[in-house]
Amino acid sequence: MPPPIIPRPGGAFRTLATAAATPNPTYQVFNRQTKRLQRSRSAQNPTASRATDYLKSEISLRLIDRVQDIQRPLPHILDLGAGACHIARLLPLGISSRLEKLTCVDMSRELLYRDAELEFNDNLPIERVVADEEAPPFAEDTFDAVVSSLSMHWINDLPYTLSRINRILKPDAPFVAAMLGGDTLFELRTSLQLVELERRGGVSPRVSPLADVRDVGGLMQRAGFKLLTIDVDDVVVEFPDVFALMADLNAMGEGNAVLAREAGPIGRDMLMAAEGVYRELHGLEEGRLPATFRIIYMIGWKEGENQPKPLPRGTGEISMKDILEGRRKE
Amino acid sequence: MATPSRPTRPIQKFASAVAKCPSEVSAYGRCVVADYNNVHKDKCLEEFLRLRECVRGGAKKKG
Repeated sequence: MPPPIIPRPGGAFRTLATAAATPNPTYQVFNRQTKRLQRSRSAQNPTASRATDYLKSEISLRLIDRVQDIQRPLPHILDLGAGACHIARLLPLGISSRLEKLTCVDMSRELLYRDAELEFNDNLPIERVVADEEAPPFAEDTFDAVVSSLSMHWINDLPYTLSRINRILKPDAPFVAAMLGGDTLFELRTSLQLVELERRGGVSPRVSPLADVRDVGGLMQRAGFKLLTIDVDDVVVEFPDVFALMADLNAMGEGNAVLAREAGPIGRDMLMAAEGVYRELHGLEEGRLPATFRIIYMIGWKEGENQPKPLPRGTGEISMKDILEGRRKE
Repeated sequence: MATPSRPTRPIQKFASAVAKCPSEVSAYGRCVVADYNNVHKDKCLEEFLRLRECVRGGAKKKG
């Protein structure tokens, strides 16, 4: 029998562990420091950065739609991973007039303050807080609602962050979020994989691993959220070529921040090759390239008194089977 | 979209150089995708070298 393999001290195991700065170093997939720098860099060119707000704006609007369905007043809302406070900019009067404070949190100061001089800031009581959204630094029972738009896909330890969010919510308060998941950018992922296989004989992580719809329900439940609603939406954006897609992703601050990625940007040989494969595999008739963003929306409520609860198992009196089969119990 | 009025960044120069070689781009793409469950290193080396030559030639002519 061969001897058991023992990891050598000082090998790859140690280098992974040293990058951990968060309280729970179990899952380190993304380099948060890199992500902060990418966001800050993107904000240094406000014109280019604002030009690529289209995705965030669209998703934020859909998210606000879901918040608007909540009838009760929400005086203090937290926007976690706010970017340049997109949600604040887009909030309709119906919500904003009843708002006492909107707290925007992002780990990049530059991005958070990018639009601080714009007009919408005067109409709303906005508070900007620079902090890592992986561990929102607020006291228990602080917020009437927490929202998050297209930011949570960069969080390393989702279970931890979600339970943290649950704690800072007031009892019976909602958490409404949209995050990128599942097959997001599958066109780019498949093209780059094929190209790397052909050019270099192996693949490296170019597109983040993302949470699946099926995982999200379990995660939310584990974090203590009740009355879950989860749904999925695909947004397809068309680009003239691979370079435009990559340039836009960079300008959004959404470049690759996977820890195991190769250092440095993707090479030009790879890019021109990817252009060919992307076009052949996914290209549309008019020569445009589609990029799919799969958005997972989730709504969960912190447990509270007088909250409607599901009935205990076995108390149902109507059989779903009978209804679905068109039979009725006499 | 994100494209500023003047293509000043090097990546945009590069993108327009690639755009001038549509037949080489699609020849390489077709070759890789043709049997994509069986891609191996340098499967399409010939097509790639032709593409790279075209792109480099175009970039030089312009610069």
